[in-house]
Amino acid sequence: VKVEALDYGERKVYTVSSFNRGIADWLSRLPTVWVEGEVTELRRHDRWQSVFFTLKDPGDGACLGVTMPRGRFDALRLDLTDGERVHVYGRPELFEQRGDFRLRALTLERFGLGDHLARLERLKTKLAAEGLFAEERKRPLPRLPRRIGLVTGNDAAAKRDVLATIAARFPPANIVVAETYVQGPRAAAAVVAAMQALCELPELDVIVIARGGGSFEDLLPFSDERLVRAVAACKVPVVTAVGHEQDTPLCDLAADRRASTPTMAGKLVVPELNELLERLDRSRESVAAGVRRLVERDAGRLEHSRAALRPALVRRVEREGERLDATHERLRRAPALAVERKRAALEQAAGRLRALSPRSTLERGYAIVRRGSELVRSVAVVTPGERVDVELGDGSFGARVE
Amino acid sequence: LSEELTFEAAQKELDQIVDRLERGQAPLDEALALWQRGEELYAFCRAKLDAAHGRIEELARAAEPQS
Repeated sequence: VKVEALDYGERKVYTVSSFNRGIADWLSRLPTVWVEGEVTELRRHDRWQSVFFTLKDPGDGACLGVTMPRGRFDALRLDLTDGERVHVYGRPELFEQRGDFRLRALTLERFGLGDHLARLERLKTKLAAEGLFAEERKRPLPRLPRRIGLVTGNDAAAKRDVLATIAARFPPANIVVAETYVQGPRAAAAVVAAMQALCELPELDVIVIARGGGSFEDLLPFSDERLVRAVAACKVPVVTAVGHEQDTPLCDLAADRRASTPTMAGKLVVPELNELLERLDRSRESVAAGVRRLVERDAGRLEHSRAALRPALVRRVEREGERLDATHERLRRAPALAVERKRAALEQAAGRLRALSPRSTLERGYAIVRRGSELVRSVAVVTPGERVDVELGDGSFGARVE
Repeated sequence: LSEELTFEAAQKELDQIVDRLERGQAPLDEALALWQRGEELYAFCRAKLDAAHGRIEELARAAEPQS
């Protein structure tokens, strides 16, 4: 295609038509590519040659117009509705008459299960690396929640199951239900908003997110990054019961507890009242029994001590008595002993006294001569024929002086 | 004997008296006086012990459960 410019002296000027044709020509040289986005504003008419829709980036809302020949579109039998995610294979094109830029689709596919899984796997790896699913982040559920928030669909069987289970187990439970979309493109944002609204309530201790089973696509909002992050960041513990047992949406990994069913979620958040009361009764009984046992044991010890008290005292008095008796016995003997010692000393003195008497001299052969009672100390005092007495050691006899 | 004399003090004095008498150091007159003092101390201690024993029995009887 040749695009001719008009010359106005120095200035080259294109007509709109030739400009558009030039751009269109340039665009037509770009390669055919796959583009991913959400289908919105789908317009199809039996009388129209083409089908129109807008492809929207779910991340930032960027838009791209798409046209597709109606014949090709119908042949795919996709039965597309707004909000579905698709891959479109096409080429950029300019509708010259209007200057509209758009993607001319040759074919399109629903975003396949495999692609979803790969995306989920990438998100899961990323969030896990951030530690969002770590065991140590999990908080214990309250034993007795003052208020329970329930995020669920407006007529969901899941809602009924949770409510019935809680009511049966713990009738006084205080539950606030936040009904919201649980399916479709708006579900993730709606669930996040519902959680945030519940968190504003006073005394809220736990949140349950319940949704019954559904197709893989139905449950996709519960793997949405925003929702998963909101569950992890929630200020109260979160219990999820989404889908059936085999489903594991990412919000389950971020939740503090995952319940296999809505009924199980109800069991997790409240205790059984009757069981609680029974346990309380049992605790009270065992406390009473324990106290009684303690008192009995102390009483037993006291009895024992008391029983030992009197014998101990009696033994003490008896011991003192025995000691006193022994001392008294020594005292009783002491004066006699003292006198005996004096007597012995006396005897000894007498013996020594006796040893000093003249009799022992006489026994050695000396004699005492007396005239009457007068000792004869000299031969000059006696005359022959005079009578004297001679005393020897063993006796005395009379004698006459010659 | 003094009112304030305790059993232990009396017992101690009695022991000392017996020791002295047994060693035979005291003059005879003093020994007799010591002996007399010793007998008094003995009587005092014995009375204390008897009183203690009687008090124990009395308390034990009072503490018996009334049958």
